[in-house]
Amino acid sequence: MSDPGVAISIQRVRKSFGDVRAVDGISLDIAEGEFLTLLGPSGCGKTTTMRLIAGFEEPDEGTILLRGTDVVGVPPNKREVNMCFQHYALFPHMAVERNIEYGLKLKKVPKGDRQRIVAEMLEIVGLAGMQQRKPGQLSGGQQQRVALARALVNQPAALLLDEPLGALDVKLRKHMQLELKRIQHELRTTFVYVTHDQDEALSMSDRIAVMNQGVIEQLGTPREVYEQPATPFVADFVGVLNAMDVRVDEVAGEDLVMRVSDRDRIVVPVGPLGTEASVGSSLLVAVRPERVELSIGDGAAGNGSRLSGTVGQVVYLGTLTQFHVDTAIGERLIVHHLSDDLSSMVNRGDEVVLTWARTDAAVLSS
Amino acid sequence: MATDTASAASVETSEPSPRRRRGSGRWRVTSGLLATPTIWLVVFFVVPVVLVGVYSVGLLTLLRNDDYLSLEHWRFFLTSDTYLALFWKSVRMSLGVSITSVLLAYPVAYLLALIAGSKKYTLLLVIIVPFLTSYLLRVLAWRVILNPQGVLQSFLRSIDVLGPEQQIDWLFNSTFAIYLVLSYVWVPFVALPIFVSLENLDQHLLEASSDLGASRLRTFWTVTLPLSMPGVVAGFIFVFIPTIGEYVTPQLVGGPGGFMFGSAIQSAFTAGLDWQFGSAMAMFLIFAVAVLLIVFGRFLNVRSVTE
Amino acid sequence: MNVAVSRAGRRWLWLVFWLLTLFLYAPLVILLIFSFNDRELVSFPWEGFTLHWYQTFLDNPEILTALRVSVVVATLTAVVTTILAIPASIALVRRRFFGKGLVSGVMLAPLVIPLVVLGTALLILFNTIGIPFSPLTIAIGHIVIALPFAILTLVPRLERIPAALEEASRDLGAGWSTTFRQITFPLMLPAIFSAFLLSFVISFDEVVIASFVAGDEVTFPVYLYSQLRLPRQLPQVIAVAVVVLTISAIVVTISEVLRRMTDKSLEETTRVHDEEEVSVA
Repeated sequence: MSDPGVAISIQRVRKSFGDVRAVDGISLDIAEGEFLTLLGPSGCGKTTTMRLIAGFEEPDEGTILLRGTDVVGVPPNKREVNMCFQHYALFPHMAVERNIEYGLKLKKVPKGDRQRIVAEMLEIVGLAGMQQRKPGQLSGGQQQRVALARALVNQPAALLLDEPLGALDVKLRKHMQLELKRIQHELRTTFVYVTHDQDEALSMSDRIAVMNQGVIEQLGTPREVYEQPATPFVADFVGVLNAMDVRVDEVAGEDLVMRVSDRDRIVVPVGPLGTEASVGSSLLVAVRPERVELSIGDGAAGNGSRLSGTVGQVVYLGTLTQFHVDTAIGERLIVHHLSDDLSSMVNRGDEVVLTWARTDAAVLSS
Repeated sequence: MATDTASAASVETSEPSPRRRRGSGRWRVTSGLLATPTIWLVVFFVVPVVLVGVYSVGLLTLLRNDDYLSLEHWRFFLTSDTYLALFWKSVRMSLGVSITSVLLAYPVAYLLALIAGSKKYTLLLVIIVPFLTSYLLRVLAWRVILNPQGVLQSFLRSIDVLGPEQQIDWLFNSTFAIYLVLSYVWVPFVALPIFVSLENLDQHLLEASSDLGASRLRTFWTVTLPLSMPGVVAGFIFVFIPTIGEYVTPQLVGGPGGFMFGSAIQSAFTAGLDWQFGSAMAMFLIFAVAVLLIVFGRFLNVRSVTE
Repeated sequence: MNVAVSRAGRRWLWLVFWLLTLFLYAPLVILLIFSFNDRELVSFPWEGFTLHWYQTFLDNPEILTALRVSVVVATLTAVVTTILAIPASIALVRRRFFGKGLVSGVMLAPLVIPLVVLGTALLILFNTIGIPFSPLTIAIGHIVIALPFAILTLVPRLERIPAALEEASRDLGAGWSTTFRQITFPLMLPAIFSAFLLSFVISFDEVVIASFVAGDEVTFPVYLYSQLRLPRQLPQVIAVAVVVLTISAIVVTISEVLRRMTDKSLEETTRVHDEEEVSVA
């Protein structure tokens, strides 16, 4: 009935709290050994989805299969998944060793084996020799590693991580991202990772499920989600969005064209829209800020898009400089440009030309 | 949505085992946790209080001369000048004691919560400890001090402020003594909720108010006092309710004038052996408290009692 | 500048504080001092130091019996109240259920009932169902009034224990009872201790309910109450009073200090550390 390569299968799951539909019909297969991220803003249902998998909540409708077995109604202590909690949830009255061996003890693993397994796991998470420390004596990063070790010693079918890095400062977070990736690679455990941080999701995941208002808006690799956002929400949430309402004036071969003025135009490949798009139809078109070229004077459009405009605001971001440009079509576009000589020359109020290749524009909806 | 639930229902019948378990285990745990304490309070608190009402109208009889199905005790009580006057006397006493306690406790709670800084919990404990020692013994202490042969008046005689046969009448077996001792007993308890409400107050509000040009007094009247009102109301009610049924202290330090509404109830059960009449009065007291709680209940944060 | 009070106002407030403290403690201290006065009347003049009253109360069988009954009733009250309050507070803090408002209302309602009414109500109940008065009936009443206090002592502590700790335990394979024994109970222990002591003190001190439903064996407060109305053995009674006061003050202070200390340490150990990783020693 089920594919042996699937660790977790969520089928048509719904969950409401009172009038709030936290999860509103989700289906998702997570493969063995995969690093899958549930990405979305707070309240989108990602944590509820995770808690449904762990067994802390029961779905109102739908099925959850763990390695092919229906686990609906099975309490969390009888489910083969383990969780890394948002604030680690280390037992404050137990030393590191007792925290980590907690699950093993419940499975009646003999003491000698427990000590060996704990020591090995501490080695893997980089805390060798810290068995006797109390959680209160550890830094945030170390507590994080203990929480990870405590879950992983049980060799779960999947490890569920609920915003595990949320409480760490930026530098440590970057470091722990790499560590998590390394550990996952080393142990080949399925990771289900919940976060609202799109950078984290993009840099760590095999696949990302972008969630909004209880549904999955898009499921795909980081590259797919970033470069071919399926909906305006995804485009907006994963990175900065430039969205434009475009009315099709002309269908030229493989391209849809909107003429703005005699020199300015927006070009979108027909692509998946196929014959649906015709002259007169309206499209929502998105382009990534870093895909837009900014130039002073004449920008050559080639077979791509070209828009002239006035710089409304300049924001220096370090490596990049962000320009907010009021364009001829009446929309303000955001442009990222390397902080080089050109960007230091452009000031507020300057006339500029924006261009981008025809394939860099994505149609969000029609 | 309607079709969704319909399809869920059909799934349920085709696949009964896991659905059945859904949620029912959780409910079992919750009811298991709640069962004993709830049953205890229903049997030994709710039911007895209902019985008082039932008994007072004679739906139930216990003593040989109890009336069966009679509103006579209620009629007598509600038309009796003596007993209604006792009730209002108790109300006056409770009001006086509650207000005195709040007035004494407020400045101290204010000092501890907003000014005393890091030693505030220690100093709060200093205030609270007397409250947690025996109630009766604290009343006893005042009896020893105030009575005509007691510590205070004998001291005044020994330094010749008072003549050998002279005594200060208003000190003992007097309304003054009742108010003094009851306020003494309750002040620490009132300080607690006021302290909590003042401590929870965001001190930046005070700074904002003074930044906007308000004087300290004005800040107090317009910001601090209104925001600490829940604590004041809680303190007030937690003194008022026990005091309105109080008969022990008035009897011990109030002399003949210390016969209160609570004393009337108590003596109906001991001296008078008129239990149904006592029950009517007790029920009336519950109604009075209920009215008070309905009016002020929404200001009440019971948790401040232990924090 | 302190916006709460001016410098002069601060001085006044401190004066009020110390005067109130004096007001609160002076009667107790006077009671203590005069319990050593070698005089039948508790009053001036000072006739010299004596331990006589302490010796006589130890020889007074009535006082000793009453104290013993009180200890039994208070212990029973404290044990049962704590056992009832633990599951109640867990349900109120951790569980979602229908009618929570009503249930918590019933649990806390004994806080707002005049004791004379509850005494009346229990007297009628026990007469209706035919239970004879005894120390047990007193304890039953005391459990009713102590329960809300015990619950209100446990609830804040439970709220400080992150629910995620219990979920983590469940997630790692522990059932409800193991989770309670290994995680919840040890972390609640200081508050349980406080709740136990508080219930004990409430019962040990209570006179109204105890006099309504007492049988032949009366508790110490009921005995004291009867003695106060007929003041024959006053100096002895005062000696007992001082002993009881001192013990209860010490016990209560210790339990309060303990509770606050352990609350603080729980907060520290469950706090999420934000700083850089400390070096591995």
